[in-house]
Amino acid sequence: MRTRIALALLALFLMAGNALAKDVVFAVDATYPPMEMVDANKNIVGFGPEIVAAIGKAAGFNPVLKNTAWDGIFAGLASGKYDAIASSVSITDERKQTMDFTDPYFEVKQGVVTAKDAAIKTVEDLKGKTIASQMGTTGYFVCKKIEGATAKSYDEIGLAVEDLYNGRLDAVIADDAVASNYALQHEQYSQKLTLAFLIAPEKPEYLGFAVNKGNKEIADLINKGLAAIKANGEYDKIYAKWFGSK
Amino acid sequence: MNQHFHKKAVKIDIGDGAAIPVKKDAGLFTAWWMTFFGAIAVIVYLCVTQPEPYWRVLKFLPDGVYVTFQVTILSILLSLVLGLVTGLGRLSRNKVVNLIASTYVEIIRGIPLLVQLFYIYYALGRLEFFKDLPPMAAAVAAMGICYGAYMGEVFRAGIDSIDKGQSEASRSLGFNRAQTMMYVILPQAWRTILPPVGNEFIALLKDSSLVSVLAVADLMRRGREFASESFLYFEAYTMVALVYLVITLFLSKGVSKMEQRLNYYERD
Repeated sequence: MRTRIALALLALFLMAGNALAKDVVFAVDATYPPMEMVDANKNIVGFGPEIVAAIGKAAGFNPVLKNTAWDGIFAGLASGKYDAIASSVSITDERKQTMDFTDPYFEVKQGVVTAKDAAIKTVEDLKGKTIASQMGTTGYFVCKKIEGATAKSYDEIGLAVEDLYNGRLDAVIADDAVASNYALQHEQYSQKLTLAFLIAPEKPEYLGFAVNKGNKEIADLINKGLAAIKANGEYDKIYAKWFGSK
Repeated sequence: MNQHFHKKAVKIDIGDGAAIPVKKDAGLFTAWWMTFFGAIAVIVYLCVTQPEPYWRVLKFLPDGVYVTFQVTILSILLSLVLGLVTGLGRLSRNKVVNLIASTYVEIIRGIPLLVQLFYIYYALGRLEFFKDLPPMAAAVAAMGICYGAYMGEVFRAGIDSIDKGQSEASRSLGFNRAQTMMYVILPQAWRTILPPVGNEFIALLKDSSLVSVLAVADLMRRGREFASESFLYFEAYTMVALVYLVITLFLSKGVSKMEQRLNYYERD
């Protein structure tokens, strides 16, 4: 304990002038372009990580991103491996029972990606078709709700899109930003795939940062930063960079 | 040599010939028995005392078990065919055949099964010819090809275990090499081959949990889906582990029974 105090004091002296920035560890499943992904230099980039960095700057903490597989990302939060999840987590009532959410930072609809020549324009057209999404995502919940369709779940959304590209699936459902990125921006996929239509959820769906139940300290810290960047235009700047202007 | 100074009547006992050893029953408290019935007891206990969520998990799994068996049985059939060809190839005196068979075994042994699965489904899926390969077929192909290499070794060892005199005798009787293999060697070798094949079957069933990465809805995938939606990781995976355990123990009992039945050259 004594050494700790000494170290803390030393740190204070060293960082004279700087506020002592606290590390906040965020789990990210960086397989979800453009929301969060790994670039050529193995850095975690995307809309989410940039928002987190801006929030950290505004609220005075030091965000640490930890790349985590989606499968088990919530279990890791519960067991305290990290402080929060910044991985395009949709705020749902079911999830609220086991974790707390910050204020929403993004609104999502579900995008349906199909081959360009597929005659799929509405949910009814998906009857009798094989559709897929990433396991445990809101996209997959939508897949399972569509009557008469066979729902398949993949470890990563990219693998589902790859199978769609290879003609093994009829449609892939994912968050609209992700769906449009694959169907419209991706150099190779965009030649063959298209964003057929959006499924608007019955009630609006938002993304939030998940924290452990009752962890008000972290939630308040993030909310403070989020409010600040929404107020000062930083949020809009990042949004425009990734999705064009609103 | 002088023979028989004393003409004594020699009494010869005529018994029943060599006795087939009967394995002594180890009683109730073997490790197998305790694990098998213990696992079943735990499943029943959990489902009765906490039907929510354990019973709900268990009800979610059966079609996954069915798919797991489907993958396993089809893969083992494919691996038996490949294993027989490979085993004979590695025993062949034809240099080219031998080289091909040995190279196949070397390649497959050096690549992790998970990588093979990804390769056959996602990498080869980019090729026009493999585009329409359904995930189930890719899973069976990958598992069959992988286990075919191991099965080749099983066959080779089994064939090697038959005394050389057998093939010499068969050749003297005018059988050619192929006929010798077909009618003399293999009918005897299968006794040695069958038990390890049973063990490979069990190993394959456990490894088949890897096919869940191809979005094949096997037992593991069903467990993962349940867990990822309900967040009941502990409950879901506990149930999945217990179900796998019950299945593999049941099968391993079958294998050891089979070993006992086939193995009557062994003496206690």
